[in-house]
Amino acid sequence: MEDNQWLKAQLEQLESESQDYKQKALLQATVALLLEQEKREEQLQGELDGTLWSPGNWTV
Amino acid sequence: MKTLIIVSHPTVLESGSQQFLIQSLPDDEDITLHLLEETYPNGNIDVEKEQALLREHDRVLFQFPFYWYSSPPLLKKWQDEVLTEHFAFGYRGNRLQNKEFGLVLAIGLPEKEYQTGGREGFSISELTKPYQAMAKKTGMTYLKPLTIFQFSYMTEKQKKALLIDYQQYISLEQPISLKRREEWFIKQLTKTSKETLPGEHATFVIEEAIDKIEDNRLELDELRLHLDNYDDK
Repeated sequence: MEDNQWLKAQLEQLESESQDYKQKALLQATVALLLEQEKREEQLQGELDGTLWSPGNWTV
Repeated sequence: MKTLIIVSHPTVLESGSQQFLIQSLPDDEDITLHLLEETYPNGNIDVEKEQALLREHDRVLFQFPFYWYSSPPLLKKWQDEVLTEHFAFGYRGNRLQNKEFGLVLAIGLPEKEYQTGGREGFSISELTKPYQAMAKKTGMTYLKPLTIFQFSYMTEKQKKALLIDYQQYISLEQPISLKRREEWFIKQLTKTSKETLPGEHATFVIEEAIDKIEDNRLELDELRLHLDNYDDK
């Protein structure tokens, strides 16, 4: 997680220093994409936890 | 894939939103930008030329300000004259079949007004039915529209996000999924110019970002695999 924070901060820094508008947009959207991937990961992790704890899956 | 963007606007050079979109076009994709009012200032449309243009492209986009729930008049005239029987529909009229069709709409009111109970009272999906019917009749796949609400009130951050959405709308294979967008970002980051970025550190950060996107994808696929395993039981 800390790793991600570092990367996002670096991308934001690059965005502010870039001299090209389309590139700024790309860098901003890259940060948004990383956040979206993290959210999706959290959702799938939650779904997996829920599935593992479901009594339907307790059959031995 | 070749994309044809047909822009209709009575004063396209003075429109902030249209100019923004035109400036946002990706540099190296196979795109034809076709400004109707600029091409035909007298309104006399060259039907054969227009039909040839349509034949050459795989994705056709209409881009216009949403005036009175429809397009500016020249685009309607274009539809009337170019989408003829035996070309676009009817006996042997299959030239548009299996192409993709989409709308890029600049809309003056906020999104929340386009619903039952909102000031406009109808959704964009309802109000764009004639375009959906046109796509159906001509055998084209209708794409989710790209709707731009109140461009002039957008923040700089929102405009930059719009730029990317627009670029993806033009060139990304449909349906647009998270995985397809990841691939698009990796491609764009790989080729983005380092000349407009400061120092060697920039290259390192961009490579790190590409690695991170790929690592995240591996984790997402692995989680999905675990879930699918349980679903099978």
